[in-house]
Amino acid sequence: MDDLLNDFLAETSEILADAGGALVVWEADPADRAQLDSIFRMMHTIKGSSGFLALPRVTALSHAAEEALDQVRRGHRAPDAALVTGVLAIVDRLSMLCERLASEGAEPAGEDGDVIASLSGDAPDPVQADAAPAVPAAIRMRRDDDIITELQGWRSIRVPLPLLDSVMTGVTDIVLARNEFARMLRESGADAALIGAFDRLSDSIAGMRQSVSQMRMQRIDKLFAPLPRIVRDLAQELGKKVHFDTSGGEVELDREMMENIRDPLIHIVRNAIDHGIEGLDERVAAGKDITATIRVSARQSGNQIEIEVRDDGRGLSPDALVAKAIANRLLSAADARTLTPAEKLELIFRPGFSTAAQITEISGRGVGMDIVKANVEKIGGLVELRNEEGRGLSVLLRVPMTLTIISGLMVRAAGQYFAIPRGSVREILLETNDSVRIERLGGGEIATVRGEQFPLLRLEDVLARQRGDDDDVDDRALVIIRPGQGQSYALSVAAIHDHEELVIKPAAPMIMATGLYAGTTLPDNGRPVLLLDVQGLLAASGVDAGEAGRSQDRADEREAQAERARNATQLLLFREAAGRTRGVRLSVIERVEEVPQSALFESGGAVRVQVGDEIFPVHAATVPAGEAAVKLLRLYDGDTVICYPIAAVIDIVRLPDVVEPASAPGLIAGVVLVGGEPVELIDPFWIMECHAGGRTAVAGRAPLCRLVGDADGWGENFLAPLLRGAGYRVATAADAGEEADVMLCLTESGQGCGHDAGDLPVICLRSAVVSASPEGASVYRYDRAGLLAALRRKVGGARS
Amino acid sequence: MEKLYLIARIADTRVALRSRSINSVVTVGAPVEVPGAPPHVAGLFALRSRVFTLIDPHVVVGLPPVAVASGQRVIVVDVAEHGYALLADEIEDVCFIDAAETRLAGKLMPGWARVAEAMIEHEGASLLVVDPSHFIVPPALKAA
Repeated sequence: MDDLLNDFLAETSEILADAGGALVVWEADPADRAQLDSIFRMMHTIKGSSGFLALPRVTALSHAAEEALDQVRRGHRAPDAALVTGVLAIVDRLSMLCERLASEGAEPAGEDGDVIASLSGDAPDPVQADAAPAVPAAIRMRRDDDIITELQGWRSIRVPLPLLDSVMTGVTDIVLARNEFARMLRESGADAALIGAFDRLSDSIAGMRQSVSQMRMQRIDKLFAPLPRIVRDLAQELGKKVHFDTSGGEVELDREMMENIRDPLIHIVRNAIDHGIEGLDERVAAGKDITATIRVSARQSGNQIEIEVRDDGRGLSPDALVAKAIANRLLSAADARTLTPAEKLELIFRPGFSTAAQITEISGRGVGMDIVKANVEKIGGLVELRNEEGRGLSVLLRVPMTLTIISGLMVRAAGQYFAIPRGSVREILLETNDSVRIERLGGGEIATVRGEQFPLLRLEDVLARQRGDDDDVDDRALVIIRPGQGQSYALSVAAIHDHEELVIKPAAPMIMATGLYAGTTLPDNGRPVLLLDVQGLLAASGVDAGEAGRSQDRADEREAQAERARNATQLLLFREAAGRTRGVRLSVIERVEEVPQSALFESGGAVRVQVGDEIFPVHAATVPAGEAAVKLLRLYDGDTVICYPIAAVIDIVRLPDVVEPASAPGLIAGVVLVGGEPVELIDPFWIMECHAGGRTAVAGRAPLCRLVGDADGWGENFLAPLLRGAGYRVATAADAGEEADVMLCLTESGQGCGHDAGDLPVICLRSAVVSASPEGASVYRYDRAGLLAALRRKVGGARS
Repeated sequence: MEKLYLIARIADTRVALRSRSINSVVTVGAPVEVPGAPPHVAGLFALRSRVFTLIDPHVVVGLPPVAVASGQRVIVVDVAEHGYALLADEIEDVCFIDAAETRLAGKLMPGWARVAEAMIEHEGASLLVVDPSHFIVPPALKAA
């Protein structure tokens, strides 16, 4: 009876898992008669077996579901969401009963009227059924006999797992015996006929070993079966529309492996719906199809299986991840700056990280991506992310095809062999290789391989053993190991032996407890070999193998890049009111001010602006008209502010290295090419110069000096530059028109020059050092201070 | 079955092992060492494509370890689904002993006190009754 019950439970739980998926597929396409029939068949099977075992609740439930589905098959009832939900509820209840049956051995007492009622809540309505378009009348009605016949079509038998394992062990034994026999045959010098016969035996043993390995394999369909149901329920709960699709279900995977990736896979799918897929509004706003797509696909590549979960949701935002990690104190802001985009994505694998702003009921149940990653890595797999921000995320699980057979690298140390999982080996180099440098630093050792540094562990030291006597120094090799994301180290071993496919078994608890080994294996030579735990070796030696901040080259380069970026002069591009694009060094701009047009005014020939309770000069000839508001660049030299009116700020760019300077000093310091377009660079020095000390460049402000008696050109050549430099304008006698403020009279000895000055103040300059006239009436022409003082006395001077 | 014992000399002492937990008695070649393992683990060896952990009872009872000689006989036992083998100095016999197990009399070495459970009278000699699993996970260590 027990055996019967166990068989029933195994079969039923399998059927129930399939039924959930099949129901969802059928719901999507109610005209799919084949799906309906298969679900009906499943319920029928459960009902039949449970009746035999006297399980009244199971029988009643499966009968109710079978009845309802039969109504649909006969066209008496329309398939609708309520019906599917009802049948799913029955599937759930049956699963629950099976679990209780398995643990208690008897059907628990209880009442299932509620679930059954929910199914028949929509009582069969012939009228509605007639109108139902979803069930085409053309489909031939099947009799139960057809279905019984089809049941025979599932041509497989149920074998207890221990039996399978013992067959596997037996075959492995045969292989080992064969190897030993082969060795003895070779040594005995047997004749060719005997060896030929043995080879045939050998081949058939190899074939048999292959078949036995395949017996443990199952189609990955089994793993995918519960997913449609999960997607449907979750999408409904969250009010999202999701189209779910699987492919590659025919790929085969070791049964044990399947158990290990079931939970991670479900978690990733839940995550995709919960976090990845946007809400309906957001999808519409992003211009995406309102129905999101989640695609789970499997494919075999070598002895690995790749399972990809791809969604077309919002993807991951590296910057948001960083901000989150900093907020959760998983990362310091300084460390965050050194991360590459790929490293930023890897943050979701950090323990304690959860991307959702709030922990939701759906995916926030304490199981994070860190657990997913840990579980997948535990079985020798990898998790990869392929992110397209805004367009979707795909999570790739790469797992070995079987849990028990891994590809291993055999190495020697301390006179014995050890195995290293091939998956974590990045590179193998001889220690004598030119690109390897080994240094001893403060008692520890560091290996530098092509500029990349790795902490060096010597396997003998980690295992506290002496080096083997027959080790050749030239054989010593470095195995660069990457035990996990963002970690790597170099393991020095006495020699590399070879690669082998290894059947891994757990070692005895006291050996596993050392933390150094991940299991044992028996290679073909029949001597046990320990599989090293590459993470455990690291822990045992207490070395920090984190790659962050290690590689000096990369860090230096990053630093240099940041330095260059800091040092680069930045250029503010702006458009002037006249429409011309000009640029100015960003560093001279204090800020960009926007003021109402009325804040600008003209005073004393200069345009000024009132900002708050301060008044600043504006570099403009007139008050800009027309605009209600004026944008002003505030140029600041540490002392003075001058405002420069612009129409708009365009951009901030790096100042090109090549500046074509202007031929003469002025507003434009030169021309540069920005994005292929010439841009005039304004010269803040010149602007400051113009406004220095309140002096303006506006014509008509500087006092005009008229030179008379400049017979030999001294006045024009020597005096005028001095005067201009002091802020005066200079006119010669020939320049008539504008009335001068002062007349400078050039004479021989200082006597009156005789020019008619009217009421103009006159300063007489003499060429003789000694004055012939009364003191103060004339100024020696090279007495700069005296001349300027006299000018100030006469006209009030240019400088206040 | 209750009364069936394996008489062997283990760690220089004649003992009676309850046969229920004994799988077989085999000979081994040189075992593979397990660096870093507890001292009573003498190594690994393969038998019928299973890997067994070799236990040196000398260490368990507090004696210095002995080297494993090729062809040495070991007692294979299964504990918690793992295969172990106890190094035996000598395997004497498998036999039914009708006498009842009696309480341990006299003071034992601390190591033996941990693994021995009772005494039994056999052919005019007293033997310690030992459960082989105690050599693998000594009771004192179980508590630890």
